[in-house]
Amino acid sequence: MKKVIMGNHAVSYGVKASGVKVISAYPITPQTQIVELLSEMCANGEIDAKFIKVESEHSALTAVVGASAAGVRAFTATSSQGLLLMHEILHWAVGARLPIVLTNVNRSVGPPWSIWTDQNDSLSQRDTGWLQLYCESNQETQDTIVQAFKIAETVRLPVMLVLDAFFLSHTYEIVDILEPNDVKKFLPPYETDIRIDVEHPHAFGNLAGPDTYFELRFMIQKAMEEARDVVKKVDAEFKEHFGRGYGVVQPYRCDDADLILVTSGTIASTSRVIIDEMRDEGIKIGSLKIRLFRPFPFDEVYEVLSKAKKVAVIDRNISFGHHGIFFQEIKSALYGRTDVPIIGYIVGIGGRDVTPKVIREIAEKALNDENPERDINWIGVKM
Amino acid sequence: MGDKKIEFGSYKEMPMCAMSVDDMLWNHTGSWRNVRPYYDPKTSPCRTGCPAGEDIQRYIFLVTEKHYKEGWETIMRSNPMPSVTGRVCFHPCMDKCTRGDYDQAVNIPAIERALGDMAFENYDWIVKTKASKKQKVAVVGGGPAGLSCAYYAAKLGYAVTIFEKEKALGGVLRWGIPEYRLPNDVLDKAVKVILDSGEIDVKTEQAIGRDFSLEDLKKKYDAVFIGIGLSRSRSLGIDGENMEGVEAGLEFLKSINSGKKVSQGKEVVVIGGGNTAMDVARTARRIGSNVTVVYRRTMNEMPAIRDEIEEAEREGVRFRFLATPASIARGKGGKLSVVFQEMQLGEPDESGRRRPVPVEGKTFTMDVDKLFTAIGEEAVLDGLDSVEQEWSLIKAASRFGDTNIDGVFAGGDVVTGAASVVEAVAAGRAAAEKIDRYFDGKEDPAPEEVRTVGFKDMNTAYFTHAKRNEVPRISPEEALSSFDEIYRGFDMALLHREADRCFSCGVCNYCDNCWIFCPDVAISRGENEYEINYDYCKGCLVCVTECPRSVISTREEGK
Repeated sequence: MKKVIMGNHAVSYGVKASGVKVISAYPITPQTQIVELLSEMCANGEIDAKFIKVESEHSALTAVVGASAAGVRAFTATSSQGLLLMHEILHWAVGARLPIVLTNVNRSVGPPWSIWTDQNDSLSQRDTGWLQLYCESNQETQDTIVQAFKIAETVRLPVMLVLDAFFLSHTYEIVDILEPNDVKKFLPPYETDIRIDVEHPHAFGNLAGPDTYFELRFMIQKAMEEARDVVKKVDAEFKEHFGRGYGVVQPYRCDDADLILVTSGTIASTSRVIIDEMRDEGIKIGSLKIRLFRPFPFDEVYEVLSKAKKVAVIDRNISFGHHGIFFQEIKSALYGRTDVPIIGYIVGIGGRDVTPKVIREIAEKALNDENPERDINWIGVKM
Repeated sequence: MGDKKIEFGSYKEMPMCAMSVDDMLWNHTGSWRNVRPYYDPKTSPCRTGCPAGEDIQRYIFLVTEKHYKEGWETIMRSNPMPSVTGRVCFHPCMDKCTRGDYDQAVNIPAIERALGDMAFENYDWIVKTKASKKQKVAVVGGGPAGLSCAYYAAKLGYAVTIFEKEKALGGVLRWGIPEYRLPNDVLDKAVKVILDSGEIDVKTEQAIGRDFSLEDLKKKYDAVFIGIGLSRSRSLGIDGENMEGVEAGLEFLKSINSGKKVSQGKEVVVIGGGNTAMDVARTARRIGSNVTVVYRRTMNEMPAIRDEIEEAEREGVRFRFLATPASIARGKGGKLSVVFQEMQLGEPDESGRRRPVPVEGKTFTMDVDKLFTAIGEEAVLDGLDSVEQEWSLIKAASRFGDTNIDGVFAGGDVVTGAASVVEAVAAGRAAAEKIDRYFDGKEDPAPEEVRTVGFKDMNTAYFTHAKRNEVPRISPEEALSSFDEIYRGFDMALLHREADRCFSCGVCNYCDNCWIFCPDVAISRGENEYEINYDYCKGCLVCVTECPRSVISTREEGK
């Protein structure tokens, strides 16, 4: 059934379709509508899940950790300060190898207070060991939730699904709603042997000395590496069931491109408008959307970008004292494999609109500047 | 096991997260405990407050579980007439109700009444107990004490005969309480339930000292219970008291309750401040009189049930406090001219109430058609000279009602003086049990040590405020126009809503909190209680804190 719904509700429908048993969250704009709708679904019996109200995001994720440790599918959603408050427990979920799914609606971090979008909240959690998937449309958002549970449960690592505040969270689009019964065939009910079981009590989270901690961390990295294939496999399987797939990266008109714009989130769709426009003008330009950020898809990125003459990375984030974070990642992915020039552009922080005009400005700068500032170019700063 | 060091040769041998390889059941963490929680149901204050000791918490719990029959049976173990007490009791249980300190006491009598009335519609609940024992019991007086004694003696397996002076059983319930509080048909059904519960024979219009003697009974029966109540109104002891137009209130109520037409004139004065005075005043209002109650103290000292006073006020009964009749004379137009002495409150008397003393020289006169006395009743002890007496009442040798005569027992108002229905019911049951022990030569039980919980013992975080559900009633205007019952009882929805308000103080109602909260999963649900596994209970006492109703107690280990 198709419905016109907002991005946040696409998350809710994805959670509903996934047969989640425990949901815990603390409200924060711009995420609140996700759990608002889920709480209604819990209350009216539409989903057979327990909704746990808590007093903070730290507790929300902790409750979800508890549920997941008890062996049930569990979900939470947050934004910005909420995600940062979860930071300690983000690490816990990874170390305990809990297949939790969390949606973070990208919101700028205060102060100054802002409710508008940028990626610094989720990207500042990149080293916690969570998988990260950045979504572009409402349909992709809903579908990725369902995929995320399957991925998480396969590799036993938590998955963070990320979407832009307002540009996606509050934008209405047509979504083909997944029916829970159809999804069951793709994502069967969750079962696990590693769980808190009062009949067979184990000690969990116990002290691990230097003789074992090292190996436990090694296994997380190993799982992350396996996850690259798992994400692809799950996406392909999803496509078999539902006819839709998204890949780990999405190249657009890249095959003969002189310039490739690297994008993520909603900027990806905006940039395609400009690519079509400039292609019509005879300019060979394409774009590469990064959907999977952790684990980073080194090979897929190399395969696409190595054929270009120039790469422009558009970052809606900043690693202070370094560069845009996607820029860093692309550079490290290509290091030693190709000498294609990579130029970094910072845009849209704090929710400043990234319009087609802004994208065109970046594309033209990247194509025409003889000696561009390679690493960091701020677009639209009032000087 | 715990002391074995595990070495991993490869990460492949390791669990993926930090967890014990084996299960941890060997680790008896209970050894860390220095305080032990234990499951320890106590007594709710309503039960302690009930003179008959009704297991109120339990029957309310059974209502919430929709086990109505078991709820009714629970009441019947302490009180054989819940339909009656649910209507007329002064409900001290409610004064003790913990919820009173939280928002409003639970409407216990309304729940009791609902269960009592339910038995009338579910007559298969009533089981007739055969007289399995050889001894026979005589009960003199068919009021609350006598009916109660007869019921419990019959339930204990004795054949019982009730001797009743009047034409029908019920005593003060029939003759003294107006129909708008206790309809005759309800009383009839309540009596029938009692009579159908065992082998109980009834002989009406048989008065002791008139139709038979105590010696007659002693010859034919193995035990005799005397529960004849107080049947004679106290006199005022003033001039003109025997004049026509001056009447005992109790006689008036009896005439009305037996369906006689009574005309008592327009202006009526009632002397007294007890329940009889309220009943007389409200009955007189119903047959069209203007009624003034004159009481020698103030409203605060009135012994009548508070609700009855409020109802009387609502029905237009006037009150005149701090006055007592001094003389009665025939006035103009055949009216009674009553002179009242004005009073004031002096030092407290032995009852703790301030004693009324005359205000020198201050009097007033009222011209009335009728004066009813309702200043108390006294026992008529005809034919009971051989039974030891004190203050014109029968003297009981113990709280179980035995008297100076072997095999003769007594209880109710004839022992205590004017008290309540529920106290008479309690006395009747106590005597029946005493008679049983008397036959078997058994010792009296030691007084039970009761541990009653209070509001401070409750964890009110688990309760939500909810107003008491009142019993639906007809309007005061409608009430005044007939003798129809004022309070109409709970329907099932109200019954459940009110039953759900009970905190179940001190008594487990299987809420699962201890089981849910125990961080060591050391509490399990047994058949009728929770069990604590002391191998794993670390003595954190979370269960004690989280039990909303103080069912779990603690004691130090090793003590």
